[in-house]
Amino acid sequence: MKTAVNTVSFTLNGEKKTFSTRPDEKLLDLLRREGYKGTKYGCGQGTCGACTVIMDGRAVYACLLYAMQAEGRKVRTIESMGTHDKPAPIQQELVAAGAVQCGYCIPGIIMSATALMEAEKDITDEVAREYMDGNLCRCTGYEKIWVALRKTIDRAAAEPAKKAPKGGKK
Amino acid sequence: MKLCEFIRPESLAQARAVLRKLGPKGLPLAGGTALHFMPGKVPVTAVDLTGLGLSYIRHKGAFFEIGAATPLSDIQRHRGPRWAMHEICRRISTHQIRNVSTIGGNICRVFPWADLPVVLLAMNARLVIYSGKLKEMGADEYFSSQPARLFRGGDLLAAVKIPVLKAHHGFGSVKAARNAAAFSMVTIAALLELKDGRIAAARVAAGSAIPFPKRLPSVEAALMGKEPSAEVFRAAASLAGNDAKWCKQEGMSAEYVANLAEVSIVDALERAAEFARGRTE
Amino acid sequence: MKRHELARNLKQVNHSVTKIDAMQLALGKDSYVADFLPKDALVIKMLWSPHAHARIKKLDVSKAEKMPGVKCVLWHGNVPRNVHCTAGQGYPEPSPYDTFMFDTKVRFVGDRVAAVAAETEEQALAALEVIKVEYEALKPVFTLDEAMAPGAPVIHDEPEAHVPIPITYEPKKNLVAHVACEAGSFKKGMAEADFTFDQTYETPYAQHCPIEPYTSMAQMTPAGRILITTSTQVPFHCRRIVARTLGIPVQKIRVVKPRIGGGFGCKQEILLEDVTAMFALRTGRPCIWRFDREETFRTGRTRHPFRIRLRTGVKKDGTITAIGLECINNTGAYGGHGLTVVSCSGGKTLPLYHCDNILFDGKSYYTNLPVGGAYRGFGATQAFFAIESLMDHMAEAIGMDPLKFRQINHIRPGEGSPIFQALGEGREGLPMTVGSNALGECITQGAEAAGWEKRRDWRGKTGRYRRGIGMCCLMQGSSIPDIDMGAATIKINEDGSFNLNVGATDLGTGSDTVLAQIAAEELETTTDKMIVYSSDTDMTPFDVGAYASSTTYLSGEAVRKAAADAKRQILATGAEMLGLKAEEVHCEDAHVLNADGSRKVSYSDIANYSLYQKNQYQIIGTASHITKKSPPPFAAHFAEVEVDTLTGFVKVLNYVSTIDCGTAVNPALCEGQTEGGTLNGISYALTEEYLFDEKGKMRNASFADYHIYSMRDRPPIKAILVPSYEDTGPFGAKSVSEICINGPAPAIGNAIYNATGARLNEFPFTPEKVLKAIKAVKK
Repeated sequence: MKTAVNTVSFTLNGEKKTFSTRPDEKLLDLLRREGYKGTKYGCGQGTCGACTVIMDGRAVYACLLYAMQAEGRKVRTIESMGTHDKPAPIQQELVAAGAVQCGYCIPGIIMSATALMEAEKDITDEVAREYMDGNLCRCTGYEKIWVALRKTIDRAAAEPAKKAPKGGKK
Repeated sequence: MKLCEFIRPESLAQARAVLRKLGPKGLPLAGGTALHFMPGKVPVTAVDLTGLGLSYIRHKGAFFEIGAATPLSDIQRHRGPRWAMHEICRRISTHQIRNVSTIGGNICRVFPWADLPVVLLAMNARLVIYSGKLKEMGADEYFSSQPARLFRGGDLLAAVKIPVLKAHHGFGSVKAARNAAAFSMVTIAALLELKDGRIAAARVAAGSAIPFPKRLPSVEAALMGKEPSAEVFRAAASLAGNDAKWCKQEGMSAEYVANLAEVSIVDALERAAEFARGRTE
Repeated sequence: MKRHELARNLKQVNHSVTKIDAMQLALGKDSYVADFLPKDALVIKMLWSPHAHARIKKLDVSKAEKMPGVKCVLWHGNVPRNVHCTAGQGYPEPSPYDTFMFDTKVRFVGDRVAAVAAETEEQALAALEVIKVEYEALKPVFTLDEAMAPGAPVIHDEPEAHVPIPITYEPKKNLVAHVACEAGSFKKGMAEADFTFDQTYETPYAQHCPIEPYTSMAQMTPAGRILITTSTQVPFHCRRIVARTLGIPVQKIRVVKPRIGGGFGCKQEILLEDVTAMFALRTGRPCIWRFDREETFRTGRTRHPFRIRLRTGVKKDGTITAIGLECINNTGAYGGHGLTVVSCSGGKTLPLYHCDNILFDGKSYYTNLPVGGAYRGFGATQAFFAIESLMDHMAEAIGMDPLKFRQINHIRPGEGSPIFQALGEGREGLPMTVGSNALGECITQGAEAAGWEKRRDWRGKTGRYRRGIGMCCLMQGSSIPDIDMGAATIKINEDGSFNLNVGATDLGTGSDTVLAQIAAEELETTTDKMIVYSSDTDMTPFDVGAYASSTTYLSGEAVRKAAADAKRQILATGAEMLGLKAEEVHCEDAHVLNADGSRKVSYSDIANYSLYQKNQYQIIGTASHITKKSPPPFAAHFAEVEVDTLTGFVKVLNYVSTIDCGTAVNPALCEGQTEGGTLNGISYALTEEYLFDEKGKMRNASFADYHIYSMRDRPPIKAILVPSYEDTGPFGAKSVSEICINGPAPAIGNAIYNATGARLNEFPFTPEKVLKAIKAVKK
């Protein structure tokens, strides 16, 4: 049993990191003060999704989690997703569809969508909606986000299964 | 809730020992998603229960056993023979919450809007508590009042056991809420056992619109021995007022909530009856 | 070419060009106010009033000032007492000056009491807890009836309260504004009618819910000026109002708006910047103040709740003989926008249908509840609920299809309305005839997409779940004519790119992109050549900001004119380089060329020539624009719903949102505005509401309890852009963003009626209200 009061260590965007923290610091606050500011504050109550990050493959609200809860886990933020030169497919599709209005919800949307696409296959509309129900957007009415998401999912499904485990088609 | 320290025990025994020592200064922490509903001023020590191997769903004989630290999204995604737990789990809060919030966290402290206690009461679940050794208790006893009473002295919820539904058993749950992620206005769950086309046993429970989740004995009694028909369900539901005093919710009157509860009871019974009829192994 | 096809051959405008900041935002790059927080910033927290109406008898901050980490405490005893108005409107504002940075009186739960700036948020919060306040509770005013009652408690009894322009304002009666007009004779019109109607409607509070809450930061520059980086829709008004509130010159302040995370009107208000600036001035440190979600609901601005009495007369043939619209609204504790919102409730709605006899009367009253402000739709949203509900009612009375009833009555191109002149915003409007108007086509296309022909009378419907279809027609405006001004500057760079500097404010709508498209179109180059910089009071020309559906129409025309100015210079220099006269050359594809294209120079060559080689000068165009019209966009909305007649729950199955916004400068962004505004309107109609406790405190101030829609709740929304061409707008464009929010409440209300025969004069259509109305239906 370890009693860690002052530090937390986890893999952040593929790199092992150790941060000093306090037991009641939220993961969102730690990320933002460490410069990972693509993760946004929207409500601080675990309701809007602007702070969504991926922890061990699951979309979670960084504003509700204590930084300490990330100990030993793998955390991914929007900063890991793409660059101007090489954006992720979901980023390309959102931009192309005109789904980015104010953009404040978009990093969270991207993290939830990524968790969805990595966790599920043969993604039905119903499953997609269930994965995306924790990200509020007030600008778009979700129409263009939905179009971009569906396109990204369908395109990935149509591609030869290069990421799938050996021998497994579906 | 303010935290002053964060402890990660590696076994149930360790966790219990730590919590026992800390007393009211200790806080068993699973997902932690409900903590912002608990504005405590005195800092507490969080005891993280997610590293104890309590996240699992196993089919063992007549039961599905769900580890107390299993997140709701795992229950939502699980499929098994005559499995019915996903129906309510997909209706709880949002995806990100379901990924973190655990079944144990949902029932160790019962918030008025909680859905799972209602479902577990109707399912006649069994709760496994660790107090140095594992002991079991029925849902009726467990939910007779706020379960905190069971965890003084560092005892912990270890697992929830859900009876596997038999042929001719049917389960249905209904959550009435303003939108997908909203807290429930009324939650109803019903378990029906049919025999020779009649109701041989019934467990009906309600929550959210009453201060604490409970079964509805008048409704259950009115169902016994009857054929599962809409008329019978409506007649039974109309007795719910004998068992529960419905409260106003979200700006809507108690009278309206009572009506909503009765309609939801009928709907849950219909679903349970369909379940029972539809899958007669 | 038909008029509505005029935009067809445009190369940049009328194309869904990629929004220029979209990738930056999708990558999560630093973009919003809080992303630019300096490490040494102080955190601001406010002590809010727990009372709806009270006088502060004693306020002791001495203990708070000594708390660890606390650098400064502000309260009424140590700040200037400069009366002002927080509404970000033109100057002088058509709103009362009734606000101080801090006052000795609190007027709603969530009003300012005292503020702390400390090293950390925890320290600031801890300091708030030791501020001692002694209140003398006053009788609160919670309803319009209480506010209007003789002898009602006076909410604004301070001697400074006044309006800076000559309009009705009687704070002793809690009256914020009163505006009235009559065209023809309402009385005569009612006498001529075969059927008359007299209905009263209520519309609720709502919050804008931008996902980025109000956020503002201020810091001292090395030169001793205050730099305010803030999430605002009105940077220039912000600078002016902060200067007034602090009692310092405008010159001392620079306001910068970075990307902002949504506004919808709520950030047309100077709610934080005076305090952040004051703290920066006092401490010399960067200071940030961000509302949490609860503060955004409780203290942030809201939609004004209205009570509307609507009286009409109609003849059997469908002629509307009289409309009497009386609106009373609750501005909450402060009166900003009180006059304009009520003016718009008439001015932006009554011209929609032919009627010779129109009476309008609008009043705004103070109460001790949250404060109304600008919100997408602004007044029209509330009045259209009444008007479009009653239109269905009237159609039914004369036995006419409600769609046809609207078709025969709606305003046509070339027609005017006495209302345009009678109701302006703060003063009389301008006489105007409608130029572009494709409402007829909106109705036709919408009806087809929604399956209007399958609509059946509610009396034949049975079963628990009943479906119905409802529709409504809408209009809005585009800018405030003769009042609002926008300006732009555009200059060329060596590679043929351009810096486009505009005061106009992109609050997430994509206006930077739209303005770049307009500039590129005029300059005969491509949108990607535009480097847009907007909303910086030091660096960009003036613009009133993002409100009143003005940016595309007003600022867009300023941009077009500035581009034309630059183009004139480009042509002159190009001609000089080619040894031709300016009349002999034209621009095409980023080149200047002669008539047959045999001789040409590129913009890049022209820039290099003009900057480095001969007769050097900066090719720079600049222009301002004010409008003489406020051309209405038009829309027809259709909702299909399913009503659970046992519980009263309403589900929207399908929604069709058509719009005539003139030329759609960027069709994808226009659709996005329409879809987003429509969904906001749908949740406003069904699930959004402010619930108050007996002390006037909002008790559902979170997204857990105040229900806006998620991707799982959303019904399919089909946006249909119906083209027209507005001669007075840039390349035929008029406004798009506000109108769409006005439709769902009446369309869904009409659909509920068509499903069940239940008519609701009040929304949100909560399950209880719907069920009660269904139970009252007599077949």
